[in-house]
Amino acid sequence: MPPSSPIAVSASTGYRPPEGTDLLHRLRGQGTTRPTVDPGLAGGLRDWLEDGLADAAAEVSPEAGPVRVSKDALTGVLTCEAHLVARRTAPRVISEEMARGSLVDALFRQWVTTGRVDDPWADAMSAVEVGGDPDGIAGFVASMADERRQVLAEEIAEHAAGIVARWPVPSPMWLPRTQERVVVPLVGGRVVMNGVVDLAFGGPAGERASVCVVELKSGRRRVEHRGDLHFYALLETLRSGAPPFRIATYYTRTGELDVEAVSEDVLVSALQRVLAGAVKLCRLAAGTEPARSPNGLCAWCSDLPRCEPGQTRAGTDVPRRAGDTVDDDDLDLVPRGLVGEGGQDG
Amino acid sequence: MGPTIGMSVALPRAGALTDALMAPPTETVGADELRRLRDRLAGDLVTLVEELPAGEKLKLDEFRFGQAREHPDRLGADDGPFVASPAVCRRAVGSAAVARCLRRRSSSPAVAVAEVLAAGAEDAGDGGDPTVRAPWWAGWYGGLSAGGRAMVEAEAVTWATQLWTALEWERLVQPMVGGSDDWWDCPGTRSLTLKGRADVRVRTEGRPVLLVVGSGVPPFDWRAALGFPALVATLARGEKSVPARVVGLWPASGQVRILPVDIEALAETATAVMAAVATWVDARLEVKQRGRPSRPGARAEARR
Repeated sequence: MPPSSPIAVSASTGYRPPEGTDLLHRLRGQGTTRPTVDPGLAGGLRDWLEDGLADAAAEVSPEAGPVRVSKDALTGVLTCEAHLVARRTAPRVISEEMARGSLVDALFRQWVTTGRVDDPWADAMSAVEVGGDPDGIAGFVASMADERRQVLAEEIAEHAAGIVARWPVPSPMWLPRTQERVVVPLVGGRVVMNGVVDLAFGGPAGERASVCVVELKSGRRRVEHRGDLHFYALLETLRSGAPPFRIATYYTRTGELDVEAVSEDVLVSALQRVLAGAVKLCRLAAGTEPARSPNGLCAWCSDLPRCEPGQTRAGTDVPRRAGDTVDDDDLDLVPRGLVGEGGQDG
Repeated sequence: MGPTIGMSVALPRAGALTDALMAPPTETVGADELRRLRDRLAGDLVTLVEELPAGEKLKLDEFRFGQAREHPDRLGADDGPFVASPAVCRRAVGSAAVARCLRRRSSSPAVAVAEVLAAGAEDAGDGGDPTVRAPWWAGWYGGLSAGGRAMVEAEAVTWATQLWTALEWERLVQPMVGGSDDWWDCPGTRSLTLKGRADVRVRTEGRPVLLVVGSGVPPFDWRAALGFPALVATLARGEKSVPARVVGLWPASGQVRILPVDIEALAETATAVMAAVATWVDARLEVKQRGRPSRPGARAEARR
């Protein structure tokens, strides 16, 4: 994949990515009053979730372990249950996109924490190796052809340059923390919602909401990212007892920033999506045959040779491999294109 | 086991958690009942570790205690070489950073972590003060490149920030972050040591109170997990050091558990310690008998 340039977006749309204090003002909602926290909201949301999940969770054998509800599992099960099951049972394949995401995440984390990125490629590789490389990213990179690795390194350098140019290092007084793990057990731990927040800042809420959550994306802007973000807003609300006052997705390739205030409507819609998906995940864990829902991912599904509806949709019974074409970054579930106006507060 | 103290869900939570820590003691433990418990536990443990293969010694800390209860099959596996990582040293670095914030030597957890790491690297380096013992992680950290060091710092900042924002520190009495671990060498044998740890120690009405920070969600048997540092502190330091309570904080899930420490809580924890040591001894015997750790812990599982 050829390196992308943040400038290309600006040239084609006239859109200028936010940077510096402008970016921080958007994240902090400068000029807006932070909402008052309803102290009963989190408990009410939790009760709603647990009531809605109790029957489905009871069908799952205790020996099966907890049903884990992550953003990927949610998107997957709501897209096609059979595809999710196939993906889980197939050998894990690391793609260049996944490697890029991990390496850019590491560089962002380094920048936010130390305010220095001197050698993006060396720094990113050191970062994934120092933790023992549990995701196999370093191993994957080592196995790449020299030419592909060079292209990836150039991409990483561009993402890093964009981050350094546009992101001011957050003040330590804002209590920034990176890769913050959030785990919310429900119905006695039989269902566990979980996620890892790329960046959160702001102290714990008192009377007013005070936390901003930022999700980093190194790939193309997709509509399901909004669902991911709302999922994180719900997680943070259930974990801390107060909603974040701001949630944002930052795209390192283009510098686009989608920022949203968190209203009760946002949380309720996120909850309904979680409920719909978590019930399906419970039923799958209980042994229910997965439903097949043809969609834009069918062409890449490892279950395609056994899936008639998928074959009809894909026009073939031979699945493509991630990385087959330069467009494989675009495993979109919806037509490509900008979703909303980049950089505008929602 | 004594009653569980509830905690207000009012915001900010730091106020409620601080209230829970500083509440007056609700339980007391008598010297006689404590002596009986210690004598019985020591006697039973000596009998158990007598079965250990010659020369083997067990050090039961919170990690092994949890492993024996949740993953007994893993106890038989030989320990590989210790491998440091950002996740492994975040607590050590983060505790030192919070202690700096508490002493007002640093203005925020992020600043404190950077200072702790810089000082550690200096102490471990050639130019360090030879009279100062460098922390255990410092040599490893000093050998990392910039990207690796940044991950260590980032992990520690997140951990330290979670602890720093969890409490209203100015309301705590004689708070100590980290501090010395409690060690109890089981009398009558040289083969067993218990090691307890607390992340924060405070006092309320002259009695110690412990705060333990966990990862993820509270374990199913969280009472045993919280009872362990209380039992070891009691065994190691004596009657006057029986904690009034142990508070468990799991920041990732926002969960808090509170264990008032009475003789029943200590006795139940002692029973859990006995079971853990028995499981571990079984696992070591199995490894010895098989000569290889192919299915470690199978006998322990069967006993369960």
